Amino acid sequence: MRRKKILLVAAVLYAAIVAIVWNAATRRARSQTESMLDYAMLDLDATLNGSIDTMLMHAGDSIVEQLGRPAPISPIDMAVIARQRDLDEVNVVARNGEILASNESRLVGETMADHEKSAEFLVLTNGVRHALSHHFRRGAHNNDVRRKYVGVAFPGGSGFVQVGIDETRVVRMFPSIMGFIFDKWLLGETGFFLCADMGDGHLISNPARHFNEATNIDETGYDPGLDGVVEDGKTTFRIRLFGEVCDCRAVVFCGHRIVAALPPAEYYTTRTVYVACVAVALAIVLSLFVALLWRIDADAARLKAFYAAEEEKRAAELEVGRKIQESALPLEPPVSSHYDIFAVMQAAREVGGDFYDYFPLGRSHLAFLVADVSGKGVSAALYMMTAKAQLKEALLADPTFDPAAAVKRTNDELCRNNQAGMFLTAWVGVLDLDTGRVVFANAGHNPPLRLLPGNNPEWIRERSGCPLACFEGATWKNRSLTLSEGETLLLYTDGVTEAANAANELFGEERLASALKAATAGQTEETDGIDHRSEPLALCVAVRAAVASFAAGAAQADDITLMALRFASRADRAAKTFPCDSTALGDTAEFLEQELDRRQCPAKAKTQLMVGLDEIVSNIVRCSGASGIALDLEFSSDPGQVVMEVSDDGVAFNPLSVKEPDITLAPEKRAVGGLGIMLLRKTMDSVSWRRATGHNVLTVVKSFG
Amino acid sequence: MSLCGRLDTTTSPELEEALAALPQDVSSLAMDFSQLEYLSSAGLRVLLAAHKRFATSGGELVLRHVAPAVMDIFDMTGFADFLSIEK
Repeated sequence: MRRKKILLVAAVLYAAIVAIVWNAATRRARSQTESMLDYAMLDLDATLNGSIDTMLMHAGDSIVEQLGRPAPISPIDMAVIARQRDLDEVNVVARNGEILASNESRLVGETMADHEKSAEFLVLTNGVRHALSHHFRRGAHNNDVRRKYVGVAFPGGSGFVQVGIDETRVVRMFPSIMGFIFDKWLLGETGFFLCADMGDGHLISNPARHFNEATNIDETGYDPGLDGVVEDGKTTFRIRLFGEVCDCRAVVFCGHRIVAALPPAEYYTTRTVYVACVAVALAIVLSLFVALLWRIDADAARLKAFYAAEEEKRAAELEVGRKIQESALPLEPPVSSHYDIFAVMQAAREVGGDFYDYFPLGRSHLAFLVADVSGKGVSAALYMMTAKAQLKEALLADPTFDPAAAVKRTNDELCRNNQAGMFLTAWVGVLDLDTGRVVFANAGHNPPLRLLPGNNPEWIRERSGCPLACFEGATWKNRSLTLSEGETLLLYTDGVTEAANAANELFGEERLASALKAATAGQTEETDGIDHRSEPLALCVAVRAAVASFAAGAAQADDITLMALRFASRADRAAKTFPCDSTALGDTAEFLEQELDRRQCPAKAKTQLMVGLDEIVSNIVRCSGASGIALDLEFSSDPGQVVMEVSDDGVAFNPLSVKEPDITLAPEKRAVGGLGIMLLRKTMDSVSWRRATGHNVLTVVKSFG
Repeated sequence: MSLCGRLDTTTSPELEEALAALPQDVSSLAMDFSQLEYLSSAGLRVLLAAHKRFATSGGELVLRHVAPAVMDIFDMTGFADFLSIEK
């Protein structure tokens, strides 16, 4: 589209310029024609008159020579003089202007000074001026005829001779005195003259250009009656002469019609050639210009497209980064009656590197962490994924669940591959569900808050070391705290404390502590008798709302992450390991009975559990080839329930996969195998088996009371 | 014969031995379960074997004063259908 516009503008410009040039060139050609014709007419006038003047001056000179001095002469002699020289009037005038002699007797004695026109001739008496000529005019004393006068001075200006010739005589003499002039006269390159007798139109001129083509002016195509033909010598008209278009001027002189004809082709062809050259040159220049503009336009379009593509790529990259970031975060928090955990991460537009994680460790611990990778964009997101995976792997692989060790292992791995030079801060904690104790490692991260409802929030400022991926071989120290039942821990990233409002103030630690306190104060929801205010989800929502209302519409600069962990109640757990030998049956039974009695387990349930354990342990001892058996009992009250987990490190075998025996068979047909498991299934709330890193784990759940 | 305590994997071999020690011409047996707390599948195995033995020899195995917990087990496992149980 733009190309068309450029071309259109160029075309219009081209047409305009060519039109202007054409116009100007045409006008110049025309003015040149006019000048030529002007000049021709002036020249004509001068030549025609001049010729006659010369002729008359010769006549005058000869008379002056003949007479010698001004003196009266008889009219008869004067008449002779006049006739000899083909003159119509001859006067001899004295110094004082008195006509001493004339071929017209009545003029003798008259004085030149009487008439204005005649008086002009008196200049010839100044002794300097030789001659004077007048145009054809009607005589002062003779109105019928147009007569031309020329005066020639006597030597010393003692007087002068005035000769006059009638126009009619000149008309008769015209062909002989003028004819040859027209033929030789050049009017430009192609111009010519026509001179014709006004009466019969007989041509006395014969221009070389149209030699012998016509003898009469009618034959040339000239007609004074034609439109536009004005014979004043000043008006240019265009007619066809000899079939050729000519710009003409016409004048009548001494009974003859004189036409100066200039074929315009002479000038107009030049003009056309000139304009054509200009047009071609301009076309070339404009074409180059248009091509250049097209090129620029194409480049501009390409650049625009390139930038648009880059912008799209960048947006797509950000989108990918965000998806990576979101997909990496754990979805459902683990469910437990001993704690409640909730976390949320709200990404800023530029994909940041915040992440969090929570996962159970063994049966009695929970790992939870919050981290912040420096930098933004896709590389930060990928870095975040590596760090998250490393931390999780390290903790899961460590039977002591040591956070500082996990951080160190992760750091070693990150330093090994740290090309981007990024680092991350992290706060990693492991909660012991049996005691409420949290062992943690703070690698340069923001200090969390702990809050028991009704108290003021407290900052946990203990640090373990520097951020991760800064120094190879760095180490961290474990710190610990113990949560009371009902106490909440709030973790976050600097996107919260460094959230800015329009006035560039930061949310800060003070406001965070206040928001947390405010979230747990206020009206209680009594609908279900449970205080929901302190629930992690409610807390995160409340803190997030506080940050949002503080920022009041200012753009979010960094990822905002919040994690709240509430420790509800200690786990009631009893666990012990036994060697897998002949003592196992007895020892495991004793242990189970002890723990059941301690918690006042009703007899029936106790019996069923004892029977169940017997079945399980018998199987293990008999066929698994295990070296040890671990028994883990987790009790809850209200309602009373025990989760019994029996693990062995023997061969992988799922006892639940054995087909249940058909108990309707007659005793002869009955097999004994599988009865134990059937009993288990029937007496327990649930029985399940899983294989976990080299162990068989059989889990039994039994409610009682 | 009276049983007391538990009839589980550990103690079943004892009952097995005791039954094996009985003279061949004993055709019926009554067992007093009033002191028995519970039994596991190991116990059931021994009882089944005993039941079969006495049935084939034309006699019968009678269980007396079975505790509710043990009765449950017999019900669940279908042993109540063929065992002779007397209150």
